[in-house]
Amino acid sequence: MSVKVAFLQLSDCWGCHQSFLNSDLELAPILPNINIVYWPAVVDFKLESIKLMEDGNIDIGFIEGCIRTNDDEKNAKLFRQKSKFIISFGACACYGNVSGLANLFSLEEQIKRKYVTCETVDEQYRKEPTKNVSGFRNKVNALDDIIKVDAYLNGCPPRSEQILGLIQYLLGQKPFPRHELSFCTDCDIKENCLLKQGILCFGAVTSSGCSLKCTKNGTSCLGCFGPSLKNDVRVTELISMIKKVDIKNKDNKNSIFKFLSLFLNVPLISGFEISNDPLKNVTLKDQLDKNNLLYPPETRELVSILLNILKNSDAFHEISTVCDTCPRTRKKNEIVSIKREFKGIPNQTDCFIDQGYICMGPITKAGCGALCIKVNAQCDGCYGQTQYNCDQVNRFFDKVTHDFNMKITNRDFLNQVIDPIGIFERFTLAKNKNYL
Amino acid sequence: MVKEYHIEPVTRLEGHAGMVIVIDNNGKVDDVQFNVQSTRFFEKFCEGRLVEHLPRITPRICGICPIPHHISCVKAVEDAWGIKIPTPAFKLRELLVNAKQYASHVLHFYALASPDFLLGPFADPSTRNVVNVINKMPDVGVMALKMMDFGQKLGAAIGGKSVHPVIGVPGGMRKALDEDDRDLFLKQIDEQIEFTKKTADIALKVIEDYWDVVSKVGEVPTYYIGLTKNGVHELYDGDLRVVTPDGKKIDYNVHKYLDVIAERVLDHSYTPAGYYKPAGYPEGIFRANTLAMINAVDKMGTPLADEALKTFRSRLGNISHHTFAFHWARIIETIASIETIKKYLEDPDVVNPDQKIADVEPREGEGIACIEAPRGILLYHINSDDKGICKKINIIVSTNLNVGGIEKSLKYTAKQIIEDNALNNIKLPEPWLK
Repeated sequence: MSVKVAFLQLSDCWGCHQSFLNSDLELAPILPNINIVYWPAVVDFKLESIKLMEDGNIDIGFIEGCIRTNDDEKNAKLFRQKSKFIISFGACACYGNVSGLANLFSLEEQIKRKYVTCETVDEQYRKEPTKNVSGFRNKVNALDDIIKVDAYLNGCPPRSEQILGLIQYLLGQKPFPRHELSFCTDCDIKENCLLKQGILCFGAVTSSGCSLKCTKNGTSCLGCFGPSLKNDVRVTELISMIKKVDIKNKDNKNSIFKFLSLFLNVPLISGFEISNDPLKNVTLKDQLDKNNLLYPPETRELVSILLNILKNSDAFHEISTVCDTCPRTRKKNEIVSIKREFKGIPNQTDCFIDQGYICMGPITKAGCGALCIKVNAQCDGCYGQTQYNCDQVNRFFDKVTHDFNMKITNRDFLNQVIDPIGIFERFTLAKNKNYL
Repeated sequence: MVKEYHIEPVTRLEGHAGMVIVIDNNGKVDDVQFNVQSTRFFEKFCEGRLVEHLPRITPRICGICPIPHHISCVKAVEDAWGIKIPTPAFKLRELLVNAKQYASHVLHFYALASPDFLLGPFADPSTRNVVNVINKMPDVGVMALKMMDFGQKLGAAIGGKSVHPVIGVPGGMRKALDEDDRDLFLKQIDEQIEFTKKTADIALKVIEDYWDVVSKVGEVPTYYIGLTKNGVHELYDGDLRVVTPDGKKIDYNVHKYLDVIAERVLDHSYTPAGYYKPAGYPEGIFRANTLAMINAVDKMGTPLADEALKTFRSRLGNISHHTFAFHWARIIETIASIETIKKYLEDPDVVNPDQKIADVEPREGEGIACIEAPRGILLYHINSDDKGICKKINIIVSTNLNVGGIEKSLKYTAKQIIEDNALNNIKLPEPWLK
């Protein structure tokens, strides 16, 4: 049985879809399992066909784009009504993207610039279009300001691997189990079971057959061998432990984070957040083929709870920033002035901040794989902030003062960056309530 | 009775648009509107930004052609600040925009256009898509995917990311292409040229099959605008060339664009319609994109593409107003791109580390730059103050230059079909796929 999938585009650029299509040959195992019921970029269904559907008819709705026009709002609500599960697809939907910078101006100013004072618009043709067009909302919003969202895929655009990973996960194709029995059957320290000592260990849901056997050295199994077909009985204990886990504890946080990344085999889990136990929502309604689920239901429950924790804890996001995935080395040089991007030629091995450039790495969520940094470009934060609704400029300044050898005062810093909003809120201004 | 047909949305299109066709009491086509439904006002919110950041902001206008936005924008900044970039950076940019042109044209031909021809215009809408083409013609599907993959991966290897690249910076490029990556792409280039030839064969077969449609439907005279360098096809570094409906070619330096392009805000579309300023609206309605380029050039400048151009002109003449010939023209440009990619991959300058000048200073000034994007010319006009803050920006994307032409050809075609029953006199082939 195939899963009904719809792709909706609001005010956006198509880039998330291009990123999905960039998976190219890897699309092959997915396409036969999905039934595309709406995707204007690729297939010919019209909006009318969605309106005629019963509520909840679509299994998974991907929504790309920010809420800029009245149609954006209307269509987002329509898709919420018709879909069991909504994915906020990409930076525009998740936090507004650069389009949110429009919130710095009044709508009148924006319309005037584009349709009245524009150099190329001839004097006799200056006016605001009003016939058979959608109309603009005063402010740009992210998707979850308008409708309830079940999952988020960060990034501008989200990496192909993440999009594929999420779809495969929802289809039950990922993670793929390796062996029948769980790691616990192979474990050398059965009598001193780490779980019994209150340490998070994921051996009960992880496949046997690995040769590393981390538990031998007293460290817990983090699931890198993927799921087993049958779980060990300890899974019940693991789930109840997870339900009341103290996530302020650094070891717990790290274990959960590493487990999800390794076990799900989704590159950097932070770009892949699922809230409200969505998989249950979908599977309970019997719309996803349960036969597709190759691993035990407790495993899915466990993962679902963990993803929920990941989504809802701000503290969690902080453990994984672009810096954590950056290949450059820290030099701890004194930072005495801020260089603009065009100044000099940064060397390709040392941290940009240590070289005096602004790089958004310390306050940006990981998940991108530091692609920009690898071509000698500073991170500009497209994967979203690790915290929202705070003064991002000062948060950056505090972090850099704390973690780097910063010799500039706050005031000088602000003078030197010139356009703090355009730098530190470039992708997320739509989420900043001070500008709504 | 007046009848209004609303198409919502127009599908297999990059962007957001609807369409309205109004038929009057006498059964005549009264009005045809192409309603672009969204805009995000980049022209306003780029004001106040640091000019060097614009090339990382404006690619978000289009996820299919972010590379042209990135490069055109950085060129405009360099123009405003009076910067000359090193030759290796110039060549790397040429390679980058050609990689994008190649991937985008292949995507357009196979994913957006081919379902109409391979399945036929009257196929069930639920089957008329690229997924079905891939399922029914797996060999061709795999080839198409490999072609797009090649262009997109090359774009990513140079640009950092293929969607929303980051490699350009005022003064040049931040980093050369890695030698290992270059070698990897060079190894695949001959296979890609073969794929392109096969694609051209498929396209020519489709054109023969649909010759009646190509030669009779939607033949609408307009002005054309494209980029050429001394009359030769060019994507990165050329002059504006306007072609009049009767085939006269006029060259303009891009800095004179305000003498060439004017826009009319339409009541019913968020994208204003560009037209040739000396001719006025609607007489001066432009079309940009592939057919415009093929009409504009004296030659393509690469051997296989020049052969293809000769064939095209022997069938449709030196100036073609055939709307369906955009697809054919796209194939000629695809051939040119893969040949140009080969030329630059073989040029050691693309791996030369001398990619950026170190001394860059902002200064007060206006910068204007234009490159040829997959769907037509893309022009940036940026005002910088002495600190390098953006005071004003005007962006003319190819949609602006096509909206007038799209409406004109839609109206003409609607008249052909609704008023003249043209479909009765047009020979359509049996669809390849059912």
